[in-house]
Amino acid sequence: MRRFSSGEGAAVLRAFLLATTVTLCGSAASAQDSYPAQPGKDWPIYGGSYNNQRYSSLKEITPANARQLQGKWMYHVEGLQGLESVPVVVNGVMYVSGYNRIDALDARTGNVIWRFRRQPATAAYQRGAAVAHNRVYVTTNDGHVLALDARTGAQIWESKGGPKVSFSGTPPMVANGKILVSGNRFGTAGDGGGFIQAYDEQTGDYRWTWRALPENGDPALESWGGHTPGGGPIWIGGAYDPELKLVYYGTGQPNPQWSGKGRPGDNLYSDCIVALDIDTGKLKWYFQNTPHDTHDYDSTEIIVLADMTFKGKPRKVALQANRNGYYYILDRTNGEFLQATPFVSRVDWGTVDPKTGKGLADPAHEPTVKGTITCPSTAGATNWPSPAYNPATGLFYVTATEGCGVNTLASSAPDSETSYLESPRDKESWQLYTRAIDAKTGAIKWDYKQVRSNHYGPGLLTTEGGIVFSPEQFGQVSVLDAKTGRSLWHYNTGDLITASPLTYSEDGHQYLAIASGTNILTFGLPERVTAAEKKP
Amino acid sequence: MKRPLTKALLIGLVLPLAILPAQAQRRAEPSGPANPFAGNSQAITQGELIYNQNCTSCHGPNGGAGEIGPEIIHNLSVPLRGELNDNQILDVIRNGASGTVMPAWKGKLTDDDILKIGAFLHSLRGTAIDNPLPGNVAHGEEIFWGKGQCGSCHMLGGRGALRGPDLTNVAAEYKSNLIVDALTKPNHRVYGDGGVHLRALPAMDTYDAVHVTLNSGRTVDGVLLNQDSYSLQVMGDDNELHLLDRSQVKAIANKPALMPTDYDKRLTKDEFADLMAFLTRQGRKAPVASAPRNADQE
Repeated sequence: MRRFSSGEGAAVLRAFLLATTVTLCGSAASAQDSYPAQPGKDWPIYGGSYNNQRYSSLKEITPANARQLQGKWMYHVEGLQGLESVPVVVNGVMYVSGYNRIDALDARTGNVIWRFRRQPATAAYQRGAAVAHNRVYVTTNDGHVLALDARTGAQIWESKGGPKVSFSGTPPMVANGKILVSGNRFGTAGDGGGFIQAYDEQTGDYRWTWRALPENGDPALESWGGHTPGGGPIWIGGAYDPELKLVYYGTGQPNPQWSGKGRPGDNLYSDCIVALDIDTGKLKWYFQNTPHDTHDYDSTEIIVLADMTFKGKPRKVALQANRNGYYYILDRTNGEFLQATPFVSRVDWGTVDPKTGKGLADPAHEPTVKGTITCPSTAGATNWPSPAYNPATGLFYVTATEGCGVNTLASSAPDSETSYLESPRDKESWQLYTRAIDAKTGAIKWDYKQVRSNHYGPGLLTTEGGIVFSPEQFGQVSVLDAKTGRSLWHYNTGDLITASPLTYSEDGHQYLAIASGTNILTFGLPERVTAAEKKP
Repeated sequence: MKRPLTKALLIGLVLPLAILPAQAQRRAEPSGPANPFAGNSQAITQGELIYNQNCTSCHGPNGGAGEIGPEIIHNLSVPLRGELNDNQILDVIRNGASGTVMPAWKGKLTDDDILKIGAFLHSLRGTAIDNPLPGNVAHGEEIFWGKGQCGSCHMLGGRGALRGPDLTNVAAEYKSNLIVDALTKPNHRVYGDGGVHLRALPAMDTYDAVHVTLNSGRTVDGVLLNQDSYSLQVMGDDNELHLLDRSQVKAIANKPALMPTDYDKRLTKDEFADLMAFLTRQGRKAPVASAPRNADQE
């Protein structure tokens, strides 16, 4: 075992005292919402901003110069199975997270500034941290949120109070003086279902919980046919509208996942987009994408908020490319259904009523003991990879999965469980595309085929510079022309990618960054050659 | 709720490296007697039951990784076989892995139950060479090079051809039933499972026969070893490796599959059994204990 020399020990003590002092003197967290409406120099939260558009104001990298992009630095994150997290960048520091841990890097060079570790160590997947008001917030795998000083990693508080829960690893949402986290299992035993929980940003004190499964007194309980509700896991982060003071989350499937016999009814609030009051956690409205789901079509895909003129009327909309194959447009002030259009070529689990948006399942596609082929597969027409919306092109970019799957029940019992497979028919095998959809009409405008990539895949971002940064499951990263989808540059990262990318700038230079395998890679344009250097 | 964060099931011909937390990997390498339940089918069945009752919530069904714990087996790819040997796994089950959430099961389960879990995990990790099929091996070798014409595509022990996968180590890489399937089932493809997390970028394992036409008019016939959005890697029928830029490619046409899948019909029952006896013995068995470190390497 390595021991500190006395000099090192003194240095550690000095560093400890310094950190403490800076924390005490540093700016305390405020209740303000300090994130810009659009990410630019910083990328402070998972989706870049509260609206999850992943539309950066940075313009240095353009279709004209993208072919000059080159690797800038790389950082290996030790001890994890892989990275699904989106690093966040604030004030020149990049924060890479896992459960119970943060690595803080110089965003210009990748050099480590500090590392934070807390027991129990785990290699499990996790999806990110959030930074606000000089603090980094990260979840633990034993049901706590931690607040760390962003400059040193010193722990400021550990959340306290409230029901014991298990978090799903999604990044915390910092909004209106609160930290919101979500998960799959409320309570300590059994299937307590999905939940969203809020803590005070200043102190870490428990504030409120919203549960995806209705409790006694809620009329939604009737949608379970007298049976005990189960499921509704909430395993992806939400969006926030600071003016409406509403947070938006998607909820997961009802349980049992593939057998609906034991839960007749719509099974609220599973497979819903929900809007909650940020201060109270009360449900403002909900929209259910897939009632009585038997294909595990979680509605947990990233919800994108935008303001647009829809059919001649200015609207505040919520956009979602749903796992069930439909691209939805809702009015986010009240949950009014505006439109749903398929964004993959084959959707046969059911249809969507064009007036009400109500999903109508086709009984012929119920999972059976023999096996039923259904499109899209349970993996979905898309999944957690983040989409992006570019108001300049009017296009909504999404990682789309073409293909179908087989759902086979283990038995005919009402609680039968099983898994799912890719369809054995070649024409229905899985293939990923980076797909551009007209955000208003849902029409597919262009496709970029991710050769060999067939499963989940990474998310996307777009910029005012006119590009889409498009990583692929099988390790390639490409820069595409946001208008046409033409590939302008590519780089093989050498590992599988299941995270979503980010962009930021330091010293006036734009960086593109992505987690590939257990490495963070960044890219940028070359330093300009000066006139003096050009001389022989 | 199917997603890698919560479930990852096994699939695939190329399967991932079993990753245990660093502390577990660094633990001492206990030697010990062979597991008395190893290969005992009744004990393996009991071990599976005990595993399902105690282990799946972290490590997933069949050890394929779960919400909390890592994948602890993969059953097909020997070079990437789990880094812990059988005795090391038993040690982790008994005593836990310090610094991780893996608890010590000693005292919670009987040692016989722990050994049965070990036998079950061993059975998952085992490949054909651990339990080769019966038959006349020497006659099987004759079939391989003669009537079966296997050597016209495959190499084995440095002899044969290059279009198909090398079979020198086939029994140490695959289970017997997969080898039988490859010779008898059309459309022998392993379909994607919803929850799986690959742990590395595999080459294609489909050996698709292709006819590639380049913009220049030149054509290349061969087997597609891999491709991405920008390049192709083709093993040509001319025995040359062709590394192609997708921008140079005008068209790629698929040709009929090269691999016959009716060996159970084109061979007699005994011939097929003998061929399988030969194939299920090709390869190097994984050591029971980890190989000693070479002192010169450190």
